[in-house]
Amino acid sequence: MNEQKFSDEFLNAFVDEQLAAEEKSRAYQAIGADPALNQRVCELRKLRDLVRLAYQDPPAAPVPNLRTHRYRAGSVAALLLLTLGVTLGWLLHDPVAVPPVADAPAAAPLVTAAATALSPAAATRGRETKVLLHLNSGNRARMQEVLDEAELLLKHYRANRQIARVQIIVNGEGLNLLRADTSPYPERVSALLKRYDNLLLAACQNTIDRLKREQGLIARLLPGTVVVDSGVAQIILRQQQGWIYIQV
Amino acid sequence: MDFLKLFACSREFRKTLEQNRARLYRVAYSWSHNPALADDLVQETLTKALTKAGQLRDPRARDAWLFSILANCYRDHFRRHREMDDIDDVELLHEATPESESSRHETIGQVRAAIVRLPEGQRQVITLVDLEGFSYSEVAHILAVPVGTVMSRLCRARSALRTLLCAGTQPQAVQGGHLRRVK
Repeated sequence: MNEQKFSDEFLNAFVDEQLAAEEKSRAYQAIGADPALNQRVCELRKLRDLVRLAYQDPPAAPVPNLRTHRYRAGSVAALLLLTLGVTLGWLLHDPVAVPPVADAPAAAPLVTAAATALSPAAATRGRETKVLLHLNSGNRARMQEVLDEAELLLKHYRANRQIARVQIIVNGEGLNLLRADTSPYPERVSALLKRYDNLLLAACQNTIDRLKREQGLIARLLPGTVVVDSGVAQIILRQQQGWIYIQV
Repeated sequence: MDFLKLFACSREFRKTLEQNRARLYRVAYSWSHNPALADDLVQETLTKALTKAGQLRDPRARDAWLFSILANCYRDHFRRHREMDDIDDVELLHEATPESESSRHETIGQVRAAIVRLPEGQRQVITLVDLEGFSYSEVAHILAVPVGTVMSRLCRARSALRTLLCAGTQPQAVQGGHLRRVK
């Protein structure tokens, strides 16, 4: 009886909450009294839930579209980088071209900064070369060798206008090279440091501590040298950072 | 000051548009069953919404307005590419055979396949009502048809769906049929 009284449209509207309050209460009463009607409403609700379920997570939009977007973004970024690279190259062209004697301290930091910050632009002009020379011997010949090696490298890279950093790390008996009272080549060291600002001389704090502990000596280092906590740790760190390690 | 306010407004508007992307995509997908087309439609809808932002007088009507743009884009698309219907059929075959998938996916596949088989108008009405919870009058506004048409289409869509889904499950899942009878 009620099935005739309530059209499908009416029941759908009931399920979709589209009825006015008065009609709704009428529908509730009728549905409560009639199991068949109740089942029809349940079915409609179930259909609605099924449709919702079916589109809960629609398949993601295909990749080709995304790729074009990414490509566009990528090309913009590439263009920016290219512009930046060209500008920087133009700006840096002069300082680098000048034979680097007096200008070197001013020009070289810029070059290294450019190399670290703008790797894509710098990459086209040659990547930064990083060499770590390790000295742990008090042998005079070895000391001379390490300084020769460093100077040759620095000269070579400067001649080729290659961006390079050279670090000499000393520990153990090698520390003598950098100690003001024992170094056989203090003038040469200071000359090298003055000439090449991309050269770093580092001494091992552990060695300095041991010297003090065992021999009661306070090591005074040559001006321009730096101290690192642990020589071995520094060597490992540098190698992890992509430095080339050479033990002299 | 006005200019600044306008700028802030438009940024806000952009943000809300972006938030609606997923909803629009869901509905666009339920209409077209083609992820690429759905994505294109949503993109087109959002572009149009941005350029026609001035037409939206009442912010509360924003959802219905967005979906009416989507409906227009969809209609325009089929006006332009009638031959695309074939591709939809191919998609349907692909979706109707999710045999390797889990039972939940089977259900989803069956429901989607059933929705695909509905006539265009019915499909749009039932998805707008079920997925987005639009009222009948809002749907009528979105699709630019009378409310009576919305109601009759919904009615027919649901009864067709009932037939399709009940007919579809019984031969495939015998166990499910038994369970239903026991209940």
